[in-house]
Amino acid sequence: MDVPMFVLFGIDIIRFLIDLGTAYALYLVVSLTLNLEAGFSGVPNFGKVMFVAAGAAAAGSVSGRVAAIVLGINTHGNYNGFIATIIPSVNTGLSQNIILSIELLVLGVLLAALVGAVLGFVASYPAIRLREDYLGMLLLASAQLFQIFLGGYQPLIGASQGIEVPDVFAWAETGIEVRDVVVLVLVAAFAFLVYLYAERVARSPLGRTLRAIRDNEVAARALGKDDAAVRRNVIIVASAISAVAGAILTFYVGAVNAETWTRVTWTFWIWVMLIIGGAANNAGVALGAFAFTFLFKVVDQVKFYFQGYIPFDVNWLEYLMFASLLIIILAFRPGGILPEKSSATLPWRTIAQIVQSESRNIGTSPKPHNTPEQDQNERTDKPG
Amino acid sequence: MLSSRPAPSRRTRKRILVLVILTIVAILSFGAIVVYSVRPIIPPYLLDTIVYASLFGLMAMGLTLTYLTTKVPNFAYGSFVTVGIYTSFSLLRVDRINPYVSAPLAFALGGVGSVAMYLGVLRVLARRGSSLVALMISTLAVDIAFVGIFGIYSDYLTSLYGIIDTKYFIALSATPGTDFSLLGRPGLLYVAPVSLAAISAGLYLLLTKTRFGIAMRASVENPSLARVLGIDVERTYVFAWWLAGGFAALSGSYYSLWLPGGTSAGSNLIVEIFAASVLGGLASIYGAALGGLIVGASEILLTQEGAELFGSWVQIYQKGVPLVIMVVTLLLFPQGLVSVRWRRIIGSLAQNFRLIAIKVGQNLRSILIRLRGTFGIGGGT
Repeated sequence: MDVPMFVLFGIDIIRFLIDLGTAYALYLVVSLTLNLEAGFSGVPNFGKVMFVAAGAAAAGSVSGRVAAIVLGINTHGNYNGFIATIIPSVNTGLSQNIILSIELLVLGVLLAALVGAVLGFVASYPAIRLREDYLGMLLLASAQLFQIFLGGYQPLIGASQGIEVPDVFAWAETGIEVRDVVVLVLVAAFAFLVYLYAERVARSPLGRTLRAIRDNEVAARALGKDDAAVRRNVIIVASAISAVAGAILTFYVGAVNAETWTRVTWTFWIWVMLIIGGAANNAGVALGAFAFTFLFKVVDQVKFYFQGYIPFDVNWLEYLMFASLLIIILAFRPGGILPEKSSATLPWRTIAQIVQSESRNIGTSPKPHNTPEQDQNERTDKPG
Repeated sequence: MLSSRPAPSRRTRKRILVLVILTIVAILSFGAIVVYSVRPIIPPYLLDTIVYASLFGLMAMGLTLTYLTTKVPNFAYGSFVTVGIYTSFSLLRVDRINPYVSAPLAFALGGVGSVAMYLGVLRVLARRGSSLVALMISTLAVDIAFVGIFGIYSDYLTSLYGIIDTKYFIALSATPGTDFSLLGRPGLLYVAPVSLAAISAGLYLLLTKTRFGIAMRASVENPSLARVLGIDVERTYVFAWWLAGGFAALSGSYYSLWLPGGTSAGSNLIVEIFAASVLGGLASIYGAALGGLIVGASEILLTQEGAELFGSWVQIYQKGVPLVIMVVTLLLFPQGLVSVRWRRIIGSLAQNFRLIAIKVGQNLRSILIRLRGTFGIGGGT
């Protein structure tokens, strides 16, 4: 089956929409996790790329080896050295074996989540001890260090050349577009789940705790909130989710290369989305990620028309454009397009009803909510 | 009256730092003379170390200047190094102007770029009440904008002058006649450390002996109090940023003589420059120079040592050395080398040493006594 072509202004619209949707979903996931860290908890994660790349590297390097073992393909004891011959035979094996493909995908995703969580745990050690600016520098440096490691350590992802990754969507490869539609559905579902999760966190007491810690650490601590533990958990969860996004991207692209994980692509662009849309507002971040991805992809499509008239590569204008957009937003609308809202509360009418029923209860039967033992427990839990 | 002298202890500490830097440079130059007169075979990486360490010292001084004035980590600082690199590159390739001649121009250009960034971006945002994180992000944005600007500029050079290697080029000293030779060694070997020494000594004199320098220090220490005394704080900040950009571009133009450059050369260096500044404490320009010397030297020497010990694969991770230094510094003593109370550490070590010595002595005695008991050596009570 082949997806029909629909061409407009020389652009294959369906192809364009599929690309846009996939990129948007992945960017949305990562920017939502950055929103959890930077927007809600005030952790300036300038090393975002490290966590995404870690997921990609873990999934990319392990899944191929596992597939080769399961399918009984000879790796000559040097997987990365013979990757050019191993991956095609793995892919032919996988294209007939949906179950194994899905297992591999799940394995890669779980592994990525684990690696991301461990890295997040490590990163949380300085994150709860250092001042904002020092932390930003430290995370930026760690991400750079991580990229040097990825680009230098041959056994992991083949150092600077990168390695190919088994195609776990090979079974959908009937026409080239169907595979991409499958991927799109998968990442869209993933992004939707992450959005629901982020929104639920934002509206929960935990979300209010996060903002309280961000805005006034001392006050939050005085109210008995363990700011260090909360920050650590947020970083771990956010890193695990972004690592999963990296893993899925790697499976989609079919290769992993240290060079693609730079601080421009997966740290700066993500921050642009966050700032444009509005930090600490999930809907805003979703909007910001869409605006960015849309602009980026459209510029990608139309820049060839200008190539003849301009004596330089149009790509460079992209950098200038997004950098100045970011600075303009920071200057004139620092909250982003959709600024942070105060915590969602119950509708006024519901509150009135609760108050009424409470007062009626107190009027008729003065039944305490807590038994005396519970009260006693609470008192011993929180002295003073 | 501008009689706001710092406390004597800090003053002496600064003097000591300047003296340390001057001593290191003196030792280096003395070493160069000895090397010339004795003529042993010195491995080229030692020459690299001298140049690299001096350049890092220069860059770290500038970065710390920007941090001192605005209290924002300037992630775009590396781009001003690239400004210097491209100034000397294009003037050499197009007009055949020697990089040493164009270095003052690079200094001025880098300074102008830096001031433009301060006035056009950081001050605007700071006056609108941006948070620290927003300001950091904006410096990152300026860095990204410079990626675009250098890209456009290099494409422009290619299309206008037909220079092909504008995106990535080898060290400019490869062009014959670019770098002079003194005592059989490349000139930069002398110029880089001497520049560092001259600039740090000059800064020391400026900041302690001139009215403007004292005003600058006052504006850094306590801007509102300085304003009360009638100091134009903004003017001193602008000057500090101009100097900082100038240092970056100057070291960039030296850098292009010694090492391959390109559009992203400066941005790739930024994390290492931060490592040097952080090691120096981000609060002292002389500390930064010292940090730069240490980071630059250890990057090459440690890698070389590691490669000899463990094999050549270590060299891939050369750029990782400064980052490891930075991470360790931030985690162990975030205020930098300058903040470490060496006297106290040495004192406590000495004290502990005494305790350890006493413990060991006691153990030895008890062992001796037991020995006596079992073997009856020494006999009796």
